[in-house]
Amino acid sequence: MDVQGRELSETVWTRMDRKAGAVVELTIRQLRHKISTWVVLSLGTVLMIMLLAFYVDAVREGFEPVDNDGDSVDADRDGYPLGQERKYGTSDWDGEQFPGSGTYIYEGEIDWNDQNREISGNKTWEGMSFLDSTWIDFDYKGGQWDYIIDWDDVTDCQDTRGEVFVDWIPDYSTACQLENGTYATNGKFTAEGNLTVPIDYFLSWGYITGIFDVPKDPKEMYIDEDDIDWDGSGGSQGFDDDGDCLRIDWYTQVDGNGDMMWWQEPHYPDSNRNGIPCDVVWVIDPETGEVISINADSSVDEDPVDENYVGEAGHRTFVIATGKIAFVLLLGLFLPLFLSLGLVRDETERGTLHYLLSKPIHRGEFIFYRVLGYLAVVSVFVLILSLVMALITSVIGPGDSFVRLGDFPVWLGIAFTTILVLAAYGSLFNTIGLLLPKYGVYLCIIIGVWEFAMGFTTLISPSSSVASLSVSHWGLQLIDSVVLASWPDTIQFSQMSYAFGLETGLEWIWSPPVHTLDTNNPYLGIITSTIVLLGTSAAMIGIGSAVFSKREIM
Amino acid sequence: MTSELPAVMLESVSKWYGEVIGINDVSLAIDGGVTGVLGPNGAGKSTLFKLLLGRLRPSQGSVRLFGTDPWESTSPFRRVGYVSETEPLYEWMTALDFLTTMARLHGMTRDEAKERAEHVLDFVGLTDVRHKEVGKYSKGMRQRVKIAHALVHDPDLIILDEPLHGCDPLARTSIMSVIRELGNRGKTVIVSSHILEEIERITEQIVILHNGRLLALGNLHAIRGLLDKHPHRIMLETESPRELAKELISEDPIYGVRFPEEGCLEIQTGDLSEAHAILPNAIVKSGIKVTSVENPDDNLDSLLGYLVGG
Repeated sequence: MDVQGRELSETVWTRMDRKAGAVVELTIRQLRHKISTWVVLSLGTVLMIMLLAFYVDAVREGFEPVDNDGDSVDADRDGYPLGQERKYGTSDWDGEQFPGSGTYIYEGEIDWNDQNREISGNKTWEGMSFLDSTWIDFDYKGGQWDYIIDWDDVTDCQDTRGEVFVDWIPDYSTACQLENGTYATNGKFTAEGNLTVPIDYFLSWGYITGIFDVPKDPKEMYIDEDDIDWDGSGGSQGFDDDGDCLRIDWYTQVDGNGDMMWWQEPHYPDSNRNGIPCDVVWVIDPETGEVISINADSSVDEDPVDENYVGEAGHRTFVIATGKIAFVLLLGLFLPLFLSLGLVRDETERGTLHYLLSKPIHRGEFIFYRVLGYLAVVSVFVLILSLVMALITSVIGPGDSFVRLGDFPVWLGIAFTTILVLAAYGSLFNTIGLLLPKYGVYLCIIIGVWEFAMGFTTLISPSSSVASLSVSHWGLQLIDSVVLASWPDTIQFSQMSYAFGLETGLEWIWSPPVHTLDTNNPYLGIITSTIVLLGTSAAMIGIGSAVFSKREIM
Repeated sequence: MTSELPAVMLESVSKWYGEVIGINDVSLAIDGGVTGVLGPNGAGKSTLFKLLLGRLRPSQGSVRLFGTDPWESTSPFRRVGYVSETEPLYEWMTALDFLTTMARLHGMTRDEAKERAEHVLDFVGLTDVRHKEVGKYSKGMRQRVKIAHALVHDPDLIILDEPLHGCDPLARTSIMSVIRELGNRGKTVIVSSHILEEIERITEQIVILHNGRLLALGNLHAIRGLLDKHPHRIMLETESPRELAKELISEDPIYGVRFPEEGCLEIQTGDLSEAHAILPNAIVKSGIKVTSVENPDDNLDSLLGYLVGG
């Protein structure tokens, strides 16, 4: 190229530069003078403040121990938690069944047809009777759903309804006392004395054997009682601290056929089928050294000390959910809906378009510069917002260091993704505004609904092929890739949440990126998603330019 | 190379919108000086300008700005300044700001643009108010800002669509002098109007459009000369119309008088310029007080009526 040619090309380039700068700057200033800009930016800020408030609240409350395996409950209210009942093979659904409750042996009965309706003795009785007692076992009490008489709650049989067992009967599992001191019973009890069974009613009796005393365990014993046992290497790990997988020295009750009782959970000590009962298989990627999968036998390491794991996983869940839902889906859609739809259309409506079109700028270029101007405004906003979020959450988030520096790449990635999504939607909506000046906004709303639906489809099923027809899908995938690249151990936390029942939401909000060309390399995921998003923007600007260049402007 | 080509060149250009004809088979070339485009509303003036600015594509024929088709290429706009008929401006901008931005859209640097903006603001006489937002400007000032915007890149061709429309007499005068000055500086200026008198005060070179057709093209005086030989009326307002009529009827170019209403005298003449030449002396001689002289036929409608009716 000769000197003159170079000078000429420089002139052309610098002039284009200057024109681009002028259009971009004008666009920025116009957006700054629009009320809707400030409204939508303020709403975005308020959204982030609210999210931060939730976050701060969660951090301040700390992470309370959670009964991840749910064995600290006492469903039948017999005072023995499920974990303890399971050791003894008793049901947590039957208040009569508890560790050491013994077995009831049937002896006899007085039924409707029997002539002799009187019986004496020291037995466990069940049915309806008049009880003239010498001793009552007031400690024999049931739980919520059985029919053992509650002797603390005996009423007076004097009743306006008439004679007991003739005109009325006491409520189930209660007794009432008659004037002469005897009781009218309806339910089960243990007592010594003379019993009379009213005509047409029924009483059976027997005795309970094999009673032994088992102290009741406190519920707290069954919370966080089986922590994760892992030495950091791969292979068979884990130990069943609470013994509910190993079941050594457990009393397991069986029925007549030798089958487990109905309330017993099926027991598969080697559910991960690696030949070793009650262990956890940790799979580590030999290249990266990161955990890529955890496969635990059921009831092993299933109730870890939440504080140690939930803090970090919960923090990551917050960052990823904020990035995906607040930044990509909400800001990504609403900012362009308010700011880009009218980039060129409003100029036509206002009648100021000719100031811009009577200049030596190609209309296609003009559209590109307008979108750039819009992008400059929203990008600065998104960058500031994400950096503020990063700063605050990385200081108050879990961890020993003062600032979680490792969070910053993720937040920057979120900002980068959001900007790409804003570019794609911005060029799409601007083009729609050009094609359909009047009704474009309705089409944009329909597209917005589609994008939301596909976004949530992507969250639930990342590899959905329908969802890949949406911008939001690629945005969310890009965040998944960025997260994996910046926090490679996120797979480990996600797998831990899944394997050990940690309720962090991490496995729901994050999955390993799909579009890595089968390499599982997050950087390839970043590249493919970026290319798709940039390509979408370019295609939309191209269509808009082509249409606008050939349009007659009245 | 392109400078040798005429600024504006239309060859058999027609433009129709569906059934409606905007411009019908117009051929013309304009280069240098001030040209007035005259025509009543709907004559096709705006269509003509939109064709020149590449906003419309001709249905037939070719449009060239400095030899280039403005529909295909934006390059001729480097040398064109356009003042639209429509009112809107970026209300929140100051005049200086607006003009600087517009100059930058032509590829000037920030400093160059600012310098040019200051220069044209001085030219249109808005230097004092250049830091005020244009939303606060009067109608005439807004018009001058728009003209300044069209001049900021020192174009060779300036197109002004109804620049005097709605302006007060003072603004009108200053805008007219700006346009004349541009013509004196060797620019090609095209001004549209539907008021003959306005154009007459700016230029003698005119194009008359009517119903989309090019009706006349050339020197206004030559066209008017034709018109002057046509029967014409002159209206005089006076306290004693009958006495004045007696004095005037003897004058040569005047062949008839009427008294359409109280205090009013209508003179009929076959030669308007001759009649105007003798009137002042005749009135002074008669000693009768005349409060106003009007030429009701001296407007675009009667000119068009004459040209169309033949």
